[in-house]
Amino acid sequence: MTEQFVVAPLVVALLGVVLTLVLRRRPLVQRAASLGGTVAYAAAVGLLAWRVVLAPDAPGAAAYQLGGWPAPFGITLVADALSAFMLVIAAAVGLAAVAASIRVVDRANQRVFYHPLFHGLLVGVTGSFLTGDLFNLFVWFEVMLLVSYVFVAFYGGPEHTAAAFRYLVLNVFGSAVFLLAVGGLYATVGTLNMADMVRRLSDPVAYGIDPAPVGGLTALLIGTFALKAGLVPFQFWVPGAYRAAPLPVAAMLAGVTKKVGMYAIVRLFFTVFGNAEAGVDLPWIPGASPLALLAPLLLAMGIASILVGGFGAVGGDTVDELLAYSSIGQVGFIAIPVAVAAATTSASLRRFGILAALVYALHHALAKTLLFLSAATIQGATGTNRLADLGGLAGRSPPLAGAFLVGSLSLIGVPPLTGFFGKLFVFEASIRRVVTTPGAGGMAGLAVLFLGALLTIAYTTRAWLGGFWGQAPPAVERARIDPAQVAVLVALSAVVVGVGLGFDPVYRFADAAATAAVDGSAYVETVDPAGGDPV
Amino acid sequence: MPAVSIVLAGVVGGLFALGTFLVLRRDLVRVVWGVAVLTQAANVYLISMGGVREGTHDLVPVLAAHGGAVPRTADPLVQALVLTAIVIGFGTTALALVLTYRAYEENDTMNVQEWQ
Repeated sequence: MTEQFVVAPLVVALLGVVLTLVLRRRPLVQRAASLGGTVAYAAAVGLLAWRVVLAPDAPGAAAYQLGGWPAPFGITLVADALSAFMLVIAAAVGLAAVAASIRVVDRANQRVFYHPLFHGLLVGVTGSFLTGDLFNLFVWFEVMLLVSYVFVAFYGGPEHTAAAFRYLVLNVFGSAVFLLAVGGLYATVGTLNMADMVRRLSDPVAYGIDPAPVGGLTALLIGTFALKAGLVPFQFWVPGAYRAAPLPVAAMLAGVTKKVGMYAIVRLFFTVFGNAEAGVDLPWIPGASPLALLAPLLLAMGIASILVGGFGAVGGDTVDELLAYSSIGQVGFIAIPVAVAAATTSASLRRFGILAALVYALHHALAKTLLFLSAATIQGATGTNRLADLGGLAGRSPPLAGAFLVGSLSLIGVPPLTGFFGKLFVFEASIRRVVTTPGAGGMAGLAVLFLGALLTIAYTTRAWLGGFWGQAPPAVERARIDPAQVAVLVALSAVVVGVGLGFDPVYRFADAAATAAVDGSAYVETVDPAGGDPV
Repeated sequence: MPAVSIVLAGVVGGLFALGTFLVLRRDLVRVVWGVAVLTQAANVYLISMGGVREGTHDLVPVLAAHGGAVPRTADPLVQALVLTAIVIGFGTTALALVLTYRAYEENDTMNVQEWQ
């Protein structure tokens, strides 16, 4: 019975697409169905997380073999603690974004397939988090991307078309590289099922495979996933795309689809290739595992992302530009602990690095969604997002200002908000790495984390001073702030505060997720890819 | 290594080179062509990953299977993968073409560098 819960979120999201598409001639019903669909999605994810991971008698992980085909022949959906944790993030952001969309995006635009597309985005994200098959991961990525292209081009102005075109060309290139890696891995390892890959790579001689090409092929994967995650040097599509998309969708793109890139890195490099003996033969890469190559690359990309994102955000003219650059920097904060986890040989630090990245991902998803939705409310009320034309919003709407403040403070990392724990763990992972293995890379990472934290304070302060304090210009004086939107923001800030205050269960969930991420053998046991073995 | 593999490697390399060259052009339509060529290059690579053998009489089912035992066939999995990838690539290219036309309407030019 537990298996059915694994596929439930996917089915619910698909039904959401169908239902909102069927009801497109009845806008009111369609909006209600869209919101109801997201609530049902959140419920399905909650049930999955409870029955598979959190309940006292939960198995910890479950697999659903689509169509009843035994692994490794069919496509397997796998829900372990890591997948469940990421799905919870997606459900929280999705629910808030749909609730806000109904008020933020104007009615005529909502009728242009906004809701079916949004649920399509949820389908792609859910599939990516659940799938246990490498090629299927590619397909879900494409589902997610096709929808995002349309969302980036949604408003149909020249800058939207330009942003969408750039986004599309870059991602087609990324997908082609991903396909190369998939094809190469299939030819090398002889399977696409991730659990089967773990099994075959752990004992290559017994399965008659030569794992040497795996090292190079995984390097291709690093490039693709870094592009999806928007890490420097693949970040240049981010500001354009996030500013072009409707703001609630930008929240979803920054909060969830970016995390899909990071999730794919964690899942493939730690769970699947974690124990593979197939490194690249380069003089400056020690060790012979795909992780040895991942560590320096991810550290360098994380450092560069924090710098580019931080300085870009400090120089941003509009709230959405500032937030778009900020999300480049914040992904750097997620990349560095993953790099620490990849570099270390200590099992506890490896797990802790992943844990830090996961908690930070949760925090960033919540805080950035709150801020993007606040930006949408400001845009809707005043007609502008330019910091120079704003001011005095704190006097006009204290609840809106309060929500923005909670988001900003969480981004900075003030206790007891969620962001505090995110920052704390990321710094702790980085410091533990520097203490156990002193080296230039670790020191540089730590120094940039400090600088990034300072830059975060600088740009959030700038947004606060520019938008909320000071004299209210005429645009703000005339502004009519929608109470329903503010209610969504207040609810979301309550979540940010609540997750910080009641952090213990969240910590245990993230800890279980990190344990699942580094434990390839448990993954194999769950999927049971023995269908292909001779009896 | 059969000669076919070497030819295929050359073809994949050539297609990727051509695709990359086209994507870097200023003319938007050429960029779309580049996108199309790149996806096809990945598809050719994918199909060649199924393994290539010399086409003998008993490798082709329709020649040998009539009446006789079913012969060994090429790897059908990569063919299924390629079909999926072709469909996805087709959709993406179609969307890219639409966006190209839209960009042309907005800017009255196909040259990316003359965009506002």
